Amino acid sequence: MKRKFTWLTATAVAATMILSALPAYAEEALAEDQTYNTFLTADPTTLDISLRADAYSSGIMINTMEGLIRTGEENGEYVVYPGLAESWEPNEDGTVWTFHLRESVWEDGEPVTADQFVYSLQRSAAPETGSPSSFFLEPLANFTAVNTGEMDISELGVEAPDESTLVITLANPTPSFLMMLDATVYYPQRQDKVEEYGDQFGSEAQYYIANGPFRVSEWVHNSKIVLEKNENYWDAENVTLDTVNIAIMPEETTYYNAYQNNEIDYVGVGEQEWLDKFSQDPDSVYVNTEYATMNFIFYNTKDDIFQNANIRKAFTLALDREDINDMCFGGLRVPAEGWVPQGMSSGTTDYRAAAGNLIANMNAELEANGQTPQDLLLAGMEELGLGDDPASLDLTFSLAGTGEWYRTLGEYLQQVYAEALGVDLKLSFSEWGIFYDNILSGNYQMGFMSWGAYYNDPYDMLSLFVSSYDAVSTGWANEEFDALLTAAAKDMDDDARLQEYIDAENILITQDCAICPVAVSQGHSFYKNYVKGYGSLNFNNMGYKTMYIAEH
Amino acid sequence: MLKYILKRILFMFIALFFVTTLTFFLMRSIPGDPLASLARALPEQTRLNFYAKYGLDRPLFEQYLIYLKRLLTLDLGESVVYSGRSVSQTIAQTSPVSGLVGGIALAIGLVIGVGLGIVAALFKNRLPDYLVTFLAIIGVTVPVFVLASLLQYFFSVQLGWLPTSGWGKPKHLVIPVIVLSFGTIATYARYIKSSMLDVLNQDYILTARAKGLSEGQVIRRHVMRNSILPAITILGGRIVGIFTGSFVIESMFSIPGIGFYYISSINSNDYSMTMGTTIFYAALFVVIQLIVDIAYVLVDPRIRLSVGEKGGRA
Repeated sequence: MKRKFTWLTATAVAATMILSALPAYAEEALAEDQTYNTFLTADPTTLDISLRADAYSSGIMINTMEGLIRTGEENGEYVVYPGLAESWEPNEDGTVWTFHLRESVWEDGEPVTADQFVYSLQRSAAPETGSPSSFFLEPLANFTAVNTGEMDISELGVEAPDESTLVITLANPTPSFLMMLDATVYYPQRQDKVEEYGDQFGSEAQYYIANGPFRVSEWVHNSKIVLEKNENYWDAENVTLDTVNIAIMPEETTYYNAYQNNEIDYVGVGEQEWLDKFSQDPDSVYVNTEYATMNFIFYNTKDDIFQNANIRKAFTLALDREDINDMCFGGLRVPAEGWVPQGMSSGTTDYRAAAGNLIANMNAELEANGQTPQDLLLAGMEELGLGDDPASLDLTFSLAGTGEWYRTLGEYLQQVYAEALGVDLKLSFSEWGIFYDNILSGNYQMGFMSWGAYYNDPYDMLSLFVSSYDAVSTGWANEEFDALLTAAAKDMDDDARLQEYIDAENILITQDCAICPVAVSQGHSFYKNYVKGYGSLNFNNMGYKTMYIAEH
Repeated sequence: MLKYILKRILFMFIALFFVTTLTFFLMRSIPGDPLASLARALPEQTRLNFYAKYGLDRPLFEQYLIYLKRLLTLDLGESVVYSGRSVSQTIAQTSPVSGLVGGIALAIGLVIGVGLGIVAALFKNRLPDYLVTFLAIIGVTVPVFVLASLLQYFFSVQLGWLPTSGWGKPKHLVIPVIVLSFGTIATYARYIKSSMLDVLNQDYILTARAKGLSEGQVIRRHVMRNSILPAITILGGRIVGIFTGSFVIESMFSIPGIGFYYISSINSNDYSMTMGTTIFYAALFVVIQLIVDIAYVLVDPRIRLSVGEKGGRA
């Protein structure tokens, strides 16, 4: 059996070998029972490729479906493996991509054809489907016109000249297209099954059909999902696990107890005390994953006070990111260095390594000028004619929850801003729905949120601030920024594109201070030491395909 | 009697209509929308298409009329968050699960609770009474999730006797049933005790003793039957309760019950699911209430039903 080790697994194997002093070959031996037990914290909403949008269903989809490509990792770096596309080539300007499909079948033995990809993309783009993930198809030619109903779905930039050739035509050259292709919305769909099952497609195990490494054999809503190896999968010989039991465990107590009781082989940890506890367990292996999720403070740049860049800069630099991480995030996240989270890459270049730590640079510059954040605030107040008493500013901070955690965060910020800037911050706690409505209608001054990247390209994070999208509702608009992003979206030259991203991020953070990055989320996971072959990178989509249970 | 029941049934439908209307408009007055649960800002066109699919783009009153029309054909619609899950089917699948866990817990709780109540009343101000009172206080004051976490940790992690969670085998029922029955035991022990003490002080008990009945006969024939009445009153609510499940217990033990949908559908603005579960709850409630009222007549000969006033119970 051929097997590619990630460096992490390799180190884990090495570590246990020394500890247990077993002969080397014993580590390679497979357990007789290839069952992996894991959990999800919520029931997937649906397994309908066109209608899903939650994180939980994607965990099931990547293991039961196969798209054109599959993102994996080797030695801590991303690798794109061919999936159903044996090979592909873009045309010269990168607008027409031709994929050559391998011969493969669905779990019921029916062949996978290029037509099924066309059907799937058209179904997601059709306005009457109401797909919450349809915007992933935005790079495709005519997507917007099709999605608004102005054009027939047959005009969408996807066609199948023959059974094994798929041609996708893009509206513009899109260098990150290959990265986006791994999204579930690009999986094929069976028209006969979608029509046969109707609305129920994807809602139960029996109304679903797989073509990936595993099939869904049982789904008890809010209780468990059972996956079984799909013997009809084209790469079935490289799938080792026979069964994956996925319990639905929304409560922390439950999954911590279940992990300790050996009922699940994996657990994700959200508190320092459990991190410490499981770290001491000799039978557990710790895995750290940098999630491409930014936790940030955002300003309403249309607000009377926060319209001023100096004031925004004062609030951005008044925070000690190490301190807030310790005090509010249990030390489990990492301080932000810019808007694009650590762990994302542009092409093959690690973005943050190239762009540097913008926050640190800004702090250094401030210090070199012999200034404090409060000086910036006073300067801004002067520019706006708001007097010279920071305590007189009427400031309210909006938080998207009413629980203990949000109270702590709110009080922390209140205190930090009072000390560093002398402002008297009021707090407003509300449930997400109310909070978000206020943000959308611009009825706020500053707030706290997090945002996870969908795919591994800085464009995915930076494009949120393109003035026509303004996804965070900051009201900020900058023509130069828009122009750089428009250029980067089409630039097929990796170096030039990287520079455009860096310049754009500098406008966003250093120059205009439109947003205040605080911390990047991290995954803290533990696996039982007999579990092998898992990935550790955020955008790794290999799932359970490469995993196996070692003899133990 | 028949006329009374018919009138009650008419009132039931009126009540359900008000519940439906009120819930519909209250639910819509909550800020946010089903897409907000994704916690993402979606492009405008994506939102519009999504709203159109579920008819959420129509004027609110029109949506209400459409809902009522569908309701008349018993069509509760499809969940807005869990695409493809029919609301009525979800209720049909999940309420029996909650009913099973809750039913066993209620039955066990009832037997133990009534038993302890009787013991406490008979041994008033003596050790058994104090023990029962102590147990009852614990049972009412300790939050369910605390008790559940404690038992889960003790039985699964410490002793390794039972699985922490899951569904499908009898062993999965043990901890949830213990946790759920605890509250019932506590409630009934207190109720039965006080109602028995009340009855024991009645004149007719004195009469019964005076005419020479043995203590056992007095308890069985007179005290028990009379003191069980208040128990029936609260039983109605408890029975409705078992079919609505427990959000905490179901989440903690991965039980595929209905309690999850009650709470989560409100939080995630799953309009159709909230409407469906609320109407189900209300319907169950009024039906059980009617049954309880009829049961009263059967248990207590003093109560006579009369049309125009709500029976003779006071």
